[in-house]
Amino acid sequence: MALTTEIAGFVQQVVTAMGLALTTTIEEGPDGTCVNLEGEDGGVLVRRGGEGLQALQHVVATTFRRQLGEDTRITVDCNGFRKDKDAELRQMARHMAEKAKTSGMPQEMGPLNPYERRIVHLAIAEDPGATSESIGDAVMKTVIISTK
Amino acid sequence: MSAPETAGGAGSPLRAVIETIVRALVDQPDAVTVTESVRRGVSVLELRTAPGDMGKIIGRQGRTATALRTLLAVTAERHGTRAQLDIKD
Repeated sequence: MALTTEIAGFVQQVVTAMGLALTTTIEEGPDGTCVNLEGEDGGVLVRRGGEGLQALQHVVATTFRRQLGEDTRITVDCNGFRKDKDAELRQMARHMAEKAKTSGMPQEMGPLNPYERRIVHLAIAEDPGATSESIGDAVMKTVIISTK
Repeated sequence: MSAPETAGGAGSPLRAVIETIVRALVDQPDAVTVTESVRRGVSVLELRTAPGDMGKIIGRQGRTATALRTLLAVTAERHGTRAQLDIKD
């Protein structure tokens, strides 16, 4: 698809302008398109909880929102940082669901950004015994995990 | 205002980052200007766009402006300096 090539080109242009030597590859997954950045210079992007990576993803999503449409998701990863973090988040969500079931008390996670909340909600949706909802009115919200 | 000390020039990575991103975000990329000066050891970048593009740069709840500042800070860190972004309206 021409658009993903254009997106990867833009990401490459931005990181090059930042003075980072990183190579860009595209991965088409079931969950949308992922732009992967690889290289030793990735450290500055994943510092402070991946602040730079999150900012880059926001800029890419905003730039291509109109062309992408609503149901196409684009993520930007660097040296597998997001992949590892997502796996951790899923594991944490499942753990909280178990805790909610054994204690009978709703469990809180967060505050989480929209991307992170989506991962938590999807992980909880796979559990027939648990349910999740977001509370708050800012970009960052807390997710409440409770038994059904 | 006194003329600030100019820095960076056309090849400045700080300017390049802001220009690359902002030109992609706006409807009128030709109207985007970024000037760079140094005040007390901090690079100050002044960003101007067409009036109608200002909202795109700021974003909902200022998220895009925050993302721009984060990427600028990462770039400055990479080059061993500090930078600040002023969005001029």
